[in-house]
Amino acid sequence: MSTASASAAANPAADAVYNYGIIKRFTVMSLFWAILGMSAGLMAASQLAWPWLNMGIPEITFGRIRPVHTSLVIFGFGGNALLGTSYYIVQRTCRAPLWGGKLAEFTFWGWNVAVAVGVVLYMLGYTQAREYAEFVWPVDLLIAAVWLAYLAVFAMTIRHRSQPHIYVANWFYMAFILAVLILHVFNNLQMPVSLTGLESYSLFAGAQDAMTQWWYGHNVVGFILTAGFLGMMYYFVPKQAGRPVYSYRLSIVHFWALSFLYMWVGAHHLHWTALPDWTSTLAATFSILLLLPSWGGMINGIMTLSGAWDKLRTDPIMMFLITALAFYGMSTFEGPLMSLKSVNALSHYTDWTVGHVHSGALGWVAMITFGSFYHLIPKLWDTTIHSVRLIYVHFWLATIGIVLYIASMWVAGIGQGLMLRAFDEYGNLAYTFIETVSFMHLPYVVRAVGGMFFLSGVLLMIYNVYMTITAAKRQPRTAESGMEAKPAST
Amino acid sequence: MTDNKDTEKHEVETTGHVWDDDLREYNNPLPNWWLWTFYATIIFAVVYWILYPAWPVGDDYTKGVKTVTVTDEEGNELYSGHWNTRARLIDEMQNSASAQKQREYLESVSQASYEEILSDPDKMAFARSMGKVMFADNCAGCHGSGGQGVMPYFPNLVDDAWLWGGSVEKIEQTLLNGRQGNMPGFAQIQGQQAQDLAAYVLSLSGHEVDAGAAQRGKQAYNVCMGCHGADGTGNTAMGAANLTDSIWTYAQIPDAANLEEKKAMIKDVIQNGIQREMPAFGNRLSKEEIKMLTAYVHELGGGQ
Repeated sequence: MSTASASAAANPAADAVYNYGIIKRFTVMSLFWAILGMSAGLMAASQLAWPWLNMGIPEITFGRIRPVHTSLVIFGFGGNALLGTSYYIVQRTCRAPLWGGKLAEFTFWGWNVAVAVGVVLYMLGYTQAREYAEFVWPVDLLIAAVWLAYLAVFAMTIRHRSQPHIYVANWFYMAFILAVLILHVFNNLQMPVSLTGLESYSLFAGAQDAMTQWWYGHNVVGFILTAGFLGMMYYFVPKQAGRPVYSYRLSIVHFWALSFLYMWVGAHHLHWTALPDWTSTLAATFSILLLLPSWGGMINGIMTLSGAWDKLRTDPIMMFLITALAFYGMSTFEGPLMSLKSVNALSHYTDWTVGHVHSGALGWVAMITFGSFYHLIPKLWDTTIHSVRLIYVHFWLATIGIVLYIASMWVAGIGQGLMLRAFDEYGNLAYTFIETVSFMHLPYVVRAVGGMFFLSGVLLMIYNVYMTITAAKRQPRTAESGMEAKPAST
Repeated sequence: MTDNKDTEKHEVETTGHVWDDDLREYNNPLPNWWLWTFYATIIFAVVYWILYPAWPVGDDYTKGVKTVTVTDEEGNELYSGHWNTRARLIDEMQNSASAQKQREYLESVSQASYEEILSDPDKMAFARSMGKVMFADNCAGCHGSGGQGVMPYFPNLVDDAWLWGGSVEKIEQTLLNGRQGNMPGFAQIQGQQAQDLAAYVLSLSGHEVDAGAAQRGKQAYNVCMGCHGADGTGNTAMGAANLTDSIWTYAQIPDAANLEEKKAMIKDVIQNGIQREMPAFGNRLSKEEIKMLTAYVHELGGGQ
C-alpha cells in the first residue's frame, strides 16, 4: 500500500481520481448474489437427491430453481465480479479515471435490476427456455443496453489512458465484452408475441436453433467464464505474487488462439443429434485445438509464481489463485476429451457434464474470484483483512467441497453412461433407465454435501468481508482512500 | 535462494513495460513442450479433417476419405459410402455382438409357442431379460416399476386376479389391442336400496354384514348379474371383476375404517360406475416384442 501511494505521488498521471465507489458496490452485489445463487444450487442438488424437497410448490421446483441457480451464479456472482474487477483494473493499469459517470452508474443498476427481475420471473414461470439465456425479451433488451454502456465505459477509459501500452488483462476483458455483446444479441433474436406480454418466439428453428443456442451456450463458458476471468487472473496473480507475468509472448499467442478457437466449438454439445456430421467434426477438432491455448493461461499464471513458490505455503490468497489455475488446467483438459464423439457418446446426457462444468465453475471461476476479492477488498476500503485464518478455512472448505462434487459426478455420470450401454448375456439391455436413476442416489447425496461445504465457505467469506468493511469504516482514512475524494487535476 | 536462480534466468528479459507501479512481464519464449503439443493437436485436427466429413463447401461439404460399407447377415449391402454417424448406427444395430446375440435368441424364442417358452428355462430367461426392460420403458409408467399398480386407476399385475384374464392368449390380446374398462353407473339405485346392495356385495367376499340387509340387497343384485355373474365371480370376457375374492381394484376397501365406510365406497362405485382405459401397444411394439412382454407379464402375477 505504501509503495503504491509513494510511486503514485511520483507519477503525475496518478493524480487521476479512481472511481472506487462503483467497484465496492459491484463487489458487494457479487457476494450477495453468490449466497442466493449457491443456495439455489444447493437446493437443486438436494432436490435431485431427495425429490420431496420440491414440496409441490411450483415456484421452487427443480425446473425453475435450476435456471435461478445458473443465472444467479453466472450473471449475478460472476457478472458483478467481472464488471467490478474490470473497472478496478482498467483504471489502475491505464492510470485513468473511469469514463462515463452516469453511464457507468447505469451499468451497475441496469445489470443488477436485470438479474433480479429475470430470476423472479423464472420462479413465476416466465422463461425463454434457452439455456443460460432464459431471460424474457424485455430483460434481454435491458441487458443489451447495459452491455453497450459497459463497452463504451471500458473502451473510453482505455482510450483516455495515460500509459503507452494496454495491459494484457484489459485485452481479455475487451474480448469478453465484445464477444458477449455479439453472442447475446444473436442468440436472443426473438419475435415477441405481443408488446405487452413476456412471451416470444426465436427467429431460428430446428437444428439451426439448437446450433445457435449452443454457439451461445459454449461461448458463455468461453468468453464470460474463461476470457473474463483470465483478465482477472492476469492482474491479481502477478499483483499478489509480486512477480512479473511469466511470458509476454505466451500471453499474446494464447490470447489470439483462444479468442479465435472458442467461437467454433459450441456444436460439441450436440454430437449424435440431427446436426450434420461435418459440424460435429469441426466442433470436436477445434475443441482439441483449444487445449493448448487454454493451458497457455494456466502456464502463464502458475509460472508467474516461479521464484516465489513458498507463497503457496504462507499466503492463503495465493493458494486460492493457484488452485483456481490448477482446476482451470484440469477442466480445460477434460473438456476437449469430452468433445470427442466417442467419449461424448458415453458422457452426453449424464452427470459427467455437470461435474465438468462445476470443476470449471467452482474450481476456476469461483476460486479465482475469491482470491481476487481477498486481495481487492482490503485495497478498496484501505484496510487489512479481518482474519487471515478464516481465509485458510474458507480455502479448505471450498477445496473439499469441489473434490466431493467432481468425484461424485464422475461416479454418477460415468456409472450411468456405462449402465445405459451395458448388455446382458442375451444381447438385451442390462439395465432399465430407472435402475440407473436409483444408482445415482448416493452420488447425488455426496454432491449435495459437497455443495454444503462450498456454500459454508462462502458464508465464512461474507462474515470476514463484513468484519473487514465495518472495521475500516471506523478507522480514519489514509492517503490512498482519500485520493478517491480528491478532484481530478487534469 | 530460488530468487537468485530466478533472476539469473530472467535477466534482461522483461519487456520493459510497467503498469500500476509494479506489474511487469518477462519476455520468456513459448515453452517448447507447449509449442510442440500445440503442433501435435493441429496435426490431429488435420488428419481428422482428411478422414471424416469436415468442412462446408458451398451447399456441400468435404466427405473425408474414410468409407464404410455395412451389410446384413446375408451379405446384402445396407449402406456404402463416406463415413457418417447414421451408417455407424446402422452398423451397430446390425452387426454388434450384442445385436447379433439378441437377434439369434429372439428368432428362436419368438418362433417357439408360449408353452415351449414357459417350460424352457433358457427361453424363459431370455424373455425375462428382454421383458424387464420393455416393461420398465412401456408399462411401468402406469403400473409401477414392480407392476404393483396404482389404485384405483392402474390395476396391480403381481396379484393373481386378472380382470381380463391371465392366460398368455388374453394377456397378449390386452397388450395388442388395449382394453376399455367400463362399468356403467346405476344412479337410479338410491337410499336404502343402495345400502342393501352394498351390504350384499360385501357379503360375497365374506364380510360380516347384517343378514337382513344382504338378503334385501340380493334382489337389487339382479342388475349386476349380467356382467358379474349370479355368484359374483365376474367375467373376464368383459373385464367384470370377481366380487368374491376380496381383491379390490377400485374401491379401496382395505383402507376403510369400518363397515359404514366400506358400504359408502361400494355405493359410490354402484352409482357412478368405473371408466378405465389401457392403450393398445400393437402399433408400437413388434410382434416378437409383444410376445416377450406377454411371457414376462404372465410370470409377474403367476399367470393362469
